Amino acid sequence: MTLTAWIPLFALMTSMIASVVIFALPEKGYRLRTGVNLGAALVKLALVVVMVWGVFRGVDYGLSFTMVPGVTFVLRADAFSLMFAGLSSVLWLLTTIYAVGYLEDSPNRSRFFGFFSLCVASTMGIALAGNLFTFFLFYEMLTLSTYPLVVHRGTEKALKAGRTYVIYTLTGGAVLLLAIAWLHGVAGDLPFREGGHFTDADPDIQGSLILIFILLVAGLGVKAAIFPLHGWLPQAMVAPAPVSALLHAVAVVKAGAFGIVRVVHDIYGVEASAALGLLAPLAWLAAFTILYASVRALWQRDLKRRLAFSTVSQVSYIILGISLFGPVAAVGGLVHLLHQGIMKITLFFCAGNYAETLGIHRIDEMDGAGRRMPGTSLAFTIGAFGMIGAPPLAGFITKWTMGSGALAANMDWVIAVLVASSLLNAAYFLPVLHRLWFREPAAGWPHERRWGRLETSAWLFWPPLLTAVMTVMVGVLASLPFSPLSWAELIVLREYSS
Amino acid sequence: MMSAEPVLVLLAVGVPLLYPAMALRSAWQRAMRFALPLLPVPALMLAVATDPGWQLELPWLLNGGLWAMDELRRLFLLLTALLWTVAGIYAVGYLAAHHLRRFCVFWGLTLAGNLGLTVAVDIGSFYSFFALMTFAGYGLVVHEGTGEASYAGRVYLVMAVLGEMAILAGLLLASAAADSQLLTDLPQAIAGSSRRDLIIGLLIAGFGVKAGLPLLHFWLPLAHPVAPTPASAVLSGAMIKAGLLGWLVTLPFGETALPGWGAVMIVAGALGSIGAAVLGVCQRRPKAVLAYSSVSQMGLIVLMVGAALADHGRAPVLLSIIALYALHHGLAKGSLFLSAGVSLPAGAARRAAVWLLITVPGLSLAGLPFTSGALAKLAMKESLLEEQLEFALAGYLSPLMTAGAVATLLLVLRYLWTLTGNLESGRNPPMLAAGWLAAVVVSLVAFWWMPWNVEGLVKPPVWLPAAYQVWALAWPMLIAVALALLALVASRLVKQR
Repeated sequence: MTLTAWIPLFALMTSMIASVVIFALPEKGYRLRTGVNLGAALVKLALVVVMVWGVFRGVDYGLSFTMVPGVTFVLRADAFSLMFAGLSSVLWLLTTIYAVGYLEDSPNRSRFFGFFSLCVASTMGIALAGNLFTFFLFYEMLTLSTYPLVVHRGTEKALKAGRTYVIYTLTGGAVLLLAIAWLHGVAGDLPFREGGHFTDADPDIQGSLILIFILLVAGLGVKAAIFPLHGWLPQAMVAPAPVSALLHAVAVVKAGAFGIVRVVHDIYGVEASAALGLLAPLAWLAAFTILYASVRALWQRDLKRRLAFSTVSQVSYIILGISLFGPVAAVGGLVHLLHQGIMKITLFFCAGNYAETLGIHRIDEMDGAGRRMPGTSLAFTIGAFGMIGAPPLAGFITKWTMGSGALAANMDWVIAVLVASSLLNAAYFLPVLHRLWFREPAAGWPHERRWGRLETSAWLFWPPLLTAVMTVMVGVLASLPFSPLSWAELIVLREYSS
Repeated sequence: MMSAEPVLVLLAVGVPLLYPAMALRSAWQRAMRFALPLLPVPALMLAVATDPGWQLELPWLLNGGLWAMDELRRLFLLLTALLWTVAGIYAVGYLAAHHLRRFCVFWGLTLAGNLGLTVAVDIGSFYSFFALMTFAGYGLVVHEGTGEASYAGRVYLVMAVLGEMAILAGLLLASAAADSQLLTDLPQAIAGSSRRDLIIGLLIAGFGVKAGLPLLHFWLPLAHPVAPTPASAVLSGAMIKAGLLGWLVTLPFGETALPGWGAVMIVAGALGSIGAAVLGVCQRRPKAVLAYSSVSQMGLIVLMVGAALADHGRAPVLLSIIALYALHHGLAKGSLFLSAGVSLPAGAARRAAVWLLITVPGLSLAGLPFTSGALAKLAMKESLLEEQLEFALAGYLSPLMTAGAVATLLLVLRYLWTLTGNLESGRNPPMLAAGWLAAVVVSLVAFWWMPWNVEGLVKPPVWLPAAYQVWALAWPMLIAVALALLALVASRLVKQR
């Protein structure tokens, strides 16, 4: 095998090996564990950068072997893989840094970081999977490796949330498996291919295809938290902040959204999906989820719960974008895969900082926190404005691109959805910002800890600021090559031209 | 050789944008305060020292950036930079230690937005700067932290967000119709679009929130007065004009006659200019009177915007006069707002001088001969003569203008009246006095030397208006004075009972 075949496998293995090593390390080996963690994250990032450059130039990275006749294990890096892989490797690095600081002195760190690495390995596998079977393997591995993270604290509430999480995701997984097996029976082993496989599908199998599509979306929609399958997500908030950050920005919800995009673009093909009449209902469902979850977010008093409903809403942007049947709208959807990740991880890092540093969990406890923690609050402000879609931040690029795409596709109603969603986002984020910067703080913080010079531990301080800077940069510099927007345009160009 | 404009424009926007970083060190608080007047200086140089026509391409920015300056933008840049400079000087003397750094941060950001939007030609950066100004402006409105300020801030924010959304939808639709990311391509595309009226409606309403369009103005008399005085001055003098600029650069002026929208705007303008005066004279607090006066003045401008929409042949001339009027009003209103925070010194002569300096910009607003107001009002009157315009409501414009002039002076008199009970006695901080004096001088004297001659469409300064012109200016003022005296006598009579 050549190097181009090995690189995706290496990228996958870095986190796997890190995971095994960390499980083997003693609980006290703090420095070594941190070293392994960060080292693996950096190696993986470097491998992804190599692949990004290669795919941009048209190199084909991939390997495959047959498991049993008719079922193959395929790893392949295309432009869309690398979007997800890039998101996962950049944010993994930052989340690792953050988690090291967050879990200082807490028990079971070895277990935590072991599963943490395994979880990231799963997202890498999902990104690089070259067919539905391979995708499914890693998709389920993700479920199993995130469960221990959700229940990490071991409290009654955490265990309950974990139970809900597992019931939802395993059921979703079963539905997904059923759909994949059925599709295999109908059409054989299909690799992900730009343009899809069913552009001129046999009329006899159309009925099956429609049903399979519904099952696929239902199975994937659990993780993507599409209404009415989103119930597990707000409960999973009891997890430690870095886990929430990873769940919401990179791993779980993104895996679901990524899978749906794969199904629409690379299994069915946009043309075929539209011809089968599948896209319009998907768009309505996504639009409804966007608005419904934003309305629910309004009523949450707990900061992380509010952020959770915001995630439910924002992830559906991705689905909405690809289901509008038009290249520009698809760019808007795909670019949000990255944008939402960067913005949401910022917000969750900040929520974690408030909790760890000041003991703040509820929104009404945040009064005046901007003076005490200006760096964190600045990052939170940028993240929140990004979510609202204020220019020139990441969220604005998404909204503008998606809006233009919707108009190009003659789906004018989407503009109303975008505007309503922005208004709702403003309604639940701006009051928080007002509290942060303009209210006088209460007499004392619920549970304050002090670190030397910075407002909080340096491990916690820098990651949200970095992602906040990225939120600004991916918006302001959207027209540069290799910006998320340019990369999404590359993906869509390859999808729509094939 | 590299030309100076790109460097200047990047400094003009970059300096106020990066200035808030000074807040990172508490030791720099003092420096931060004294840097306030320096922030708009590069922009001022850009407006005064460079000739319109340059452009700067920033292909990496958003969806492709383009910043440029034409005659219209130069005029708005001039107004913005001047007003923020004098208000900045004033602020150095005015500000208390209360959350000083926070105020400076929001000042810098709001200024960056306000300056940036005047030079931005691509939709992305224009809208970005506009939003930056809007959201950072909230920090100025609620700064005092009183219950009243919080309430005003809430209303401001709700209206502002609704406005931003209308603008977003309008720009999205217009950009799709034009298949372009540049503002300059929008007017023509809007005129020819099948969704023309929807787009125009959205843009009029969206920018109208900022410009104090009647029925969308509610936030304005609440928010402008509660802000710290220098912030009130820029809110009412410069930021309100950003909404106007938004109209001027997006709406399809000169493309096609829009009598329907023209009529809507003329009615709105009439409502604004007269209705705001009625409400304004009932106010007890000086800055609230001035805020209503701003709504009233913007009403007159809206009237002209309506005329320009209705008669596309006359639009270029009207646009120039609108810009001139905006410059005049911005500077005069800025001086008036700043005067609300001065103290009366000891000594009758000095007091009289202060009162004179407070009064003159007000009279200029009302069109006192030899002032910028006379020039603007005369230009306006002559451009709106019935025989030159071709649409149904044209006949009402002149009387409405006259009524507006009466309203203007009534509000100024009311302002002076409320001020008599409110001015404190004592010494003014030197920088505060310097800022205010600079504002007065700029609005009364420097105005004549400014490069505001918009594409030669407005005649050069008229130092000595003809007799009929003086009469045209004077008789509405006489009516206003008579009305004010009547009110005074009436109130005395009521009190005696």
